[in-house]
Amino acid sequence: MLQLAAGNQASIVTVENLVKRFGHFTALNDVNLTVATGEKIVLCGPSGSGKSTLIRCINHIEKHDGGRIVVDGIELSDRMTDVNGVRREVGMVFQSFNLFPHLSVVENCMLAPMKVRGLSRTEAHERAIGLLRKVRIHDQADKYPGQLSGGQQQRVAIARALCMQPKIMLFDEPTSALDPEMVKEVLDTMVELANDGMTMVCVTHEMGFAREIADRVVFMDRGSIVEEADPETFFRAPQTERARDFLGQIIH
Amino acid sequence: MNNLDFSVVLQAWPYLWSGLVFSLALTAFAFVVGLVLGTCLALIQHFEVPVLGRLVRFYVALMRSIPLILVLFWFFFLVPIVLGHLGGSGRPVPIGATWTAFITFGLFEAAYYSEIIRVGLRAVNRGQFEACQALALSTFDTYRSVILPQVLRVASPIILSQTIILFQDTSLVYVLSLTDLLGAASKLAQLNGRLVEMYLLIAVVYLAISSAASQCVASLRKRYAIAGMRR
Repeated sequence: MLQLAAGNQASIVTVENLVKRFGHFTALNDVNLTVATGEKIVLCGPSGSGKSTLIRCINHIEKHDGGRIVVDGIELSDRMTDVNGVRREVGMVFQSFNLFPHLSVVENCMLAPMKVRGLSRTEAHERAIGLLRKVRIHDQADKYPGQLSGGQQQRVAIARALCMQPKIMLFDEPTSALDPEMVKEVLDTMVELANDGMTMVCVTHEMGFAREIADRVVFMDRGSIVEEADPETFFRAPQTERARDFLGQIIH
Repeated sequence: MNNLDFSVVLQAWPYLWSGLVFSLALTAFAFVVGLVLGTCLALIQHFEVPVLGRLVRFYVALMRSIPLILVLFWFFFLVPIVLGHLGGSGRPVPIGATWTAFITFGLFEAAYYSEIIRVGLRAVNRGQFEACQALALSTFDTYRSVILPQVLRVASPIILSQTIILFQDTSLVYVLSLTDLLGAASKLAQLNGRLVEMYLLIAVVYLAISSAASQCVASLRKRYAIAGMRR
């Protein structure tokens, strides 16, 4: 509760009455969400419930149709200055990694800091190596993404996002495309990041991870937030029928 | 076969050489102009720029449906008239056969290269664009540093075959009374009556140049190959 109270003063993301449609399909219907600085939120729910769409709206990869999104004091509109202002502060990690295949690992990490933050090549290189070391993959810095395993690629993607020194990190099912034996190395990296105090919004079905780091679990279904609670309460005593069904399906 | 006499070839070599140089210069010019302009045309279509996008689509469709030889004629006769009108005098301003050839080939090839690049752009995974967005890269940097390098790598074999076709097509400049390799050989052949030798020789030259170009691109691709990236 302390987190929520603090959130009112130092919220980094505020989503109000958010509506997103794809043609006639309403993907998000009147969604409200506030993320406090330093808070870790796990978004879960059945597929098609709108959780990915919600975080993709936060950095304007999806354009919303109604409501307001304010990130780090900037309200998202169609103006590219606002959009890029937000994107500079928001890091994102994708399910399918989306590393640049024609650039080496370290170049993947250097590109945006040089082009967007105006860092020199030396500064960008130094920062990239530092963060690659943090995700324990600096020994692969000169390899290309195609030479790495899925877990390694995802850790590079995390380092690439961190090189922009974002204020918040969004994770869109970061372990769903990985072979089971590689899930842990990515989750460990994310736990470390959480322990460093990074603000995080994670779409994931890794409930062990949610228990370990989440301040709040947000459960979505059919484009709406159905339930939110601290992980202990959510897993022990879900309030809604839909959350109980969902948990019943993913925890065997 | 005993009657073949290749000594005529040696005597004629300087003339053939100048024809070859013209063919290569025209190919190089049309390649550079065509690829740069073609990339721009592809991007205009890719971004669906209003009005301009439709014009470009029409231009590409038009160029690709007309024989090159006809386009050469058009430019030879039309461009002077257009220039005359633009200049205000109303009298045609002849630009000469050489300029006609260079401009026509550049514009014509641009249409073909633009189709190659356009298809290549569509083949780039959506995730690449999203990653660029998430990193706040500008549209310019996105295409310059991420998208186009991938497109050019993937499309390079098709770009090569188009360029080899272009090299062979330079022989069409004979309609403008210009002398390329084939033109030089055929003039000589008429003069000295050694048709078989001449045409055999230049067939070998075309073959040698085309396969050298293929080899060269293959080794470039190997050298700049990226481990793990689809080719």
